[in-house]
Amino acid sequence: MNLFQKRKIVNRLMCSLAFLCAFLALVPLLSIFGYVVSKGITSVNLDFFIHLPKPVGEPGGGMGNAIVGSLILIGLSCLWAIPVGIWGGVYLSEFGNNKLGTVVRFTADVLNGVPSIVIGVFAYTLFVLPMKSFSAISGGFALGIIMIPTIMRTTEEMLILVPRTIREAALALGISQFRTTVSIVLKTALPGIMTGILLAIARIAGETAPLLFTALGNRFWQHGLTQPIAALPLQIFAYAISPFDDWHRQAWAGALVLIVMVFLMSFISRFVIARRYKFLRSR
Amino acid sequence: MKEEIIVSNLNAYFGSVQALKDINISIQEKMVTAIIGPSGCGKSTFIRCINRLHEVVPHAKVSGKILLDGKDIYSAEIDPMDIRRKVGMVFQKPNPFPALSIYDNVAAGLKLNGITKRDHLDEIVEKTLKMAALWDEVKDKLNSSGISLSGGQQQRLCIARALAVKPEVILFDEPASALDPISTAKIEELIADLKKNYTIVIVTHNMQQAARISDYTGFFFLGELVEFSETSNIFTNPKDKKTEDYVTGRFG
Repeated sequence: MNLFQKRKIVNRLMCSLAFLCAFLALVPLLSIFGYVVSKGITSVNLDFFIHLPKPVGEPGGGMGNAIVGSLILIGLSCLWAIPVGIWGGVYLSEFGNNKLGTVVRFTADVLNGVPSIVIGVFAYTLFVLPMKSFSAISGGFALGIIMIPTIMRTTEEMLILVPRTIREAALALGISQFRTTVSIVLKTALPGIMTGILLAIARIAGETAPLLFTALGNRFWQHGLTQPIAALPLQIFAYAISPFDDWHRQAWAGALVLIVMVFLMSFISRFVIARRYKFLRSR
Repeated sequence: MKEEIIVSNLNAYFGSVQALKDINISIQEKMVTAIIGPSGCGKSTFIRCINRLHEVVPHAKVSGKILLDGKDIYSAEIDPMDIRRKVGMVFQKPNPFPALSIYDNVAAGLKLNGITKRDHLDEIVEKTLKMAALWDEVKDKLNSSGISLSGGQQQRLCIARALAVKPEVILFDEPASALDPISTAKIEELIADLKKNYTIVIVTHNMQQAARISDYTGFFFLGELVEFSETSNIFTNPKDKKTEDYVTGRFG
């Protein structure tokens, strides 16, 4: 067997191996999705979206309050985590070539690895104890902390990818540093930054641990941001560990709704970006 | 004939490295001045000092004087943004703003400086695209992205963008080195045309190009201005041995 034939065989082998690994990585995702759909789809109906949970024993009812609660919590955390994350990323990429930048970068990476339950306890001492109540605000605070490192680091990396010559072109037109950064550099990097934001949202949408200490959960509709608030992951958790078959079915339905919600959010925003940034497709 | 830019004792540094050494040069109004020299000799640094763009590079420093219309652009009370509006620049590689449409690319310098009246912008966009000989090619797709154009068109878009802020001087940093011969010819034609209304300084690696389009030529070597004279003198009767060697292709 000559060298060329040997190389051809090795090539085939390695290609199949790479394919196999790629396939293996997809298996858990596909099987989870398939399982959740098969278990949950039968309990998803209109009632599930618009009704409150029913007491044990009564059939029907839904998770309307938890769906709304999750959306409110995601909104609250985005409200402060997106501006902080993006401006932090701007600092790191445009002015962070110094000691402070290195410290911030390192801290953000460490924060990204901190278990979310620890962040829940932190928010508990900072908000819940002084306010003497579990609340939507404290939940949004905890989830926001989890979002910030992801948003900040993606923003930084996306801004660094914007070529120097683009910044210089803007400055050479007599455009101020601020306008250059906001209207030219950030705008150019926006699709990438959006991806980071979506990743962060997808992550916090399913977070349960920090909410145990902050949002707590609620079996009724929301009454103000300083009150405990329901959230899908909390409701799924509570129902899944209960001994009732009916609740188990509801938990599966909740899991399905949660997955589809995250999927839709990322699909829609990608679609909107792709329409506004047609040039990305031609690259 | 009038001197538009007078450079005296200009030194420029990157950190501790000195890129320009004691440059003295006078640039004539409404003439094309070419800057030639081997790579790394400070040509680009020199023109980037004229629009105060050198200083945006971290650790870059400048000393000396550059008079524009009799005023020192490096004096403390001068806002670099004003200088950059008076002294436009076209870069080596076409660099339209990728996230902006063709229209917004041209209008960017005005819009982001607070001029937003739509019909005024429309007028300037059309006028400058015509000056840049690009209007007929893009008038039906002003809303598509600037980077959907070919390289040569992108470079003319960048010229239109620079013209839109009404500069007095335009700096060209090897504007045709990334373009094919036909696009290059178009850019050269354009420069010859712009000379009527603007003072032009062009850095080029291409000596035929310098000979074709410029009135004056400066030869830079290792950060120093070796020789500066009318273009015909530099190419037919250079005074310095180094200039002669360079223009006859013996080095560089």
